[in-house]
Amino acid sequence: MLKKLASRWEGYLFVFPAVIFMLALIGYPLIYNLVLSFQDMDLQALNLGESSFLGLENYKVLFSDTVFWISVKNTLLYTVGSVVFQFIIGFLLALFFSLKFRLASFLRGITLVSWLIPLTISALLFRFMMGSEEGIFNQLLMSTGFINDPVPWLTSPEMALWSIVLVNIWVGIPFNMLLLSTGLSNLPEDIYESASLDGANVFQKFFHITVPLLRPVILIVMMLGFIYTFKVFDLVFVMTGGGPVNSTEVLSTLAYRYSFNDFEFSMGAATANILFAILFLVSLVYLRMIKKDEVM
Amino acid sequence: MNKRHKEWLLNIIGILIVFIFLFPVFWMIVTSFKTQAEIFQTPPTFLPSEWQFGSYQEIMQNDILQNFMNSLLISSLTTLLVLVLAVPSAYGLARFSIRGKELFILLFLVTQMLPATVILTPLFILFNQIGVLNSYIGPILACATLGIPFSVLILRTFFLGIPRELEDAAKIDGCNPLSAFLRIVMPLAMPSIIVCGAVSFFFTWGDLIFSVTFNRSQELWPLTAGIYNAIGQYGIEWNSLMAFATISALPVLIIFILLQKRLVKGLASGAVK
Repeated sequence: MLKKLASRWEGYLFVFPAVIFMLALIGYPLIYNLVLSFQDMDLQALNLGESSFLGLENYKVLFSDTVFWISVKNTLLYTVGSVVFQFIIGFLLALFFSLKFRLASFLRGITLVSWLIPLTISALLFRFMMGSEEGIFNQLLMSTGFINDPVPWLTSPEMALWSIVLVNIWVGIPFNMLLLSTGLSNLPEDIYESASLDGANVFQKFFHITVPLLRPVILIVMMLGFIYTFKVFDLVFVMTGGGPVNSTEVLSTLAYRYSFNDFEFSMGAATANILFAILFLVSLVYLRMIKKDEVM
Repeated sequence: MNKRHKEWLLNIIGILIVFIFLFPVFWMIVTSFKTQAEIFQTPPTFLPSEWQFGSYQEIMQNDILQNFMNSLLISSLTTLLVLVLAVPSAYGLARFSIRGKELFILLFLVTQMLPATVILTPLFILFNQIGVLNSYIGPILACATLGIPFSVLILRTFFLGIPRELEDAAKIDGCNPLSAFLRIVMPLAMPSIIVCGAVSFFFTWGDLIFSVTFNRSQELWPLTAGIYNAIGQYGIEWNSLMAFATISALPVLIIFILLQKRLVKGLASGAVK
């Protein structure tokens, strides 16, 4: 009896340090964020150490701010655009590298470099390549005669968001490809063999065998892609800073701007809470999905 | 087309795809060795007509060395903190019957998805209150929240796969749970622990927002913050900026090359499960 009790306590000793750490640095801030968003916390209030209660006032201000709605729209466009294309390209590459040839797994592996180098670096690198005069994109497109005038990748309000989406797709492809490759390698081969015997062509096999069997992995990849893209900050922050004229402002950069350019911490907190609420809903769907096939 | 030709063709197409895909990284490195005049030249040159190291010398005169040491210090300490907390936690969740276990696992799953910007404002105020702004502590604590959930989830899956008999045998030989864990399980788990350490290192190495928010003093800034600052300073001196970028990416590339196979496997298993 005593021994059993002891062993139970030992378990908690192993688990708790990390749990307490996460509760202090994530749990507490989340709750405090909520409190902040009902207050009037700015730089002055921070120094005084007291701020007054405002109720829902910050949210009212936020919802009547056109920039807020622009950044909601941009966040959604950005996320959907990125997720769809990095999935499609990632899937095509996963299929290609699932063909058996010598360098396949090596080559698939090194593409991960684009996912691993710091986002600040990728952002700067593409800012260089998308430069209107010296950028290699325009230089290549113009010297091959595809265009006559330089493309204003990051300087035009109509294009800037999509240019950043392009970079995000580049960053996200390896991750999608890697997960889909793992899924593909777990598919049973004998089904394909019997389908071939029945005379199925490549496309029939893909749409009638691969896609249905891979459905759980596909859903998880799309969901994770959504979650990871929705919180984008660094790319926008470094590439355009939200401009030109708010055309690339997303929820996370808006929250940052409120808190650390204008020092209106409560407005920043309110914006962050909206971002969190949307992500939380999507995460619930994701958690339901993985709960089905995991050992939780 | 016979089998050998097909094999050749696939290899060549594969190399082409990867080259096009990783062209930006190639371009970054190549540009850092070009002169400013050559960068603006049309048509562009594929390789520098003359390899020059002037950009590297120029950025060395700046505080890049300080930035580099800061990155190294912040990332190493964060990685250490992550492992010290995550390894036992993952083991506890895999091995012991704990009340609320599902809830704890859920906690790690959810926090993994949390954007940094959501906790940035409250953490800033909290760190201000406890007086750790303008020190290495802020970024280290904040960045550890990125690595811990990832590591706990991956390592737990790994620990679940180790046969329990190994520890039972050790306990019969007189080991207590802690020494059984340290002497039997830890060595077995080392490859996975290294993967988690590397990923935590990458997460922290790439952090920009925590450092620039919590630390006003540039002496504490890592490479990412230094380079962000340098954009304004160097303007369109792209060779210097690309040299800065190359140096910032180098440690990540080196660790990746050293651990490639393990990393790919670890990431794949961790993200799906």
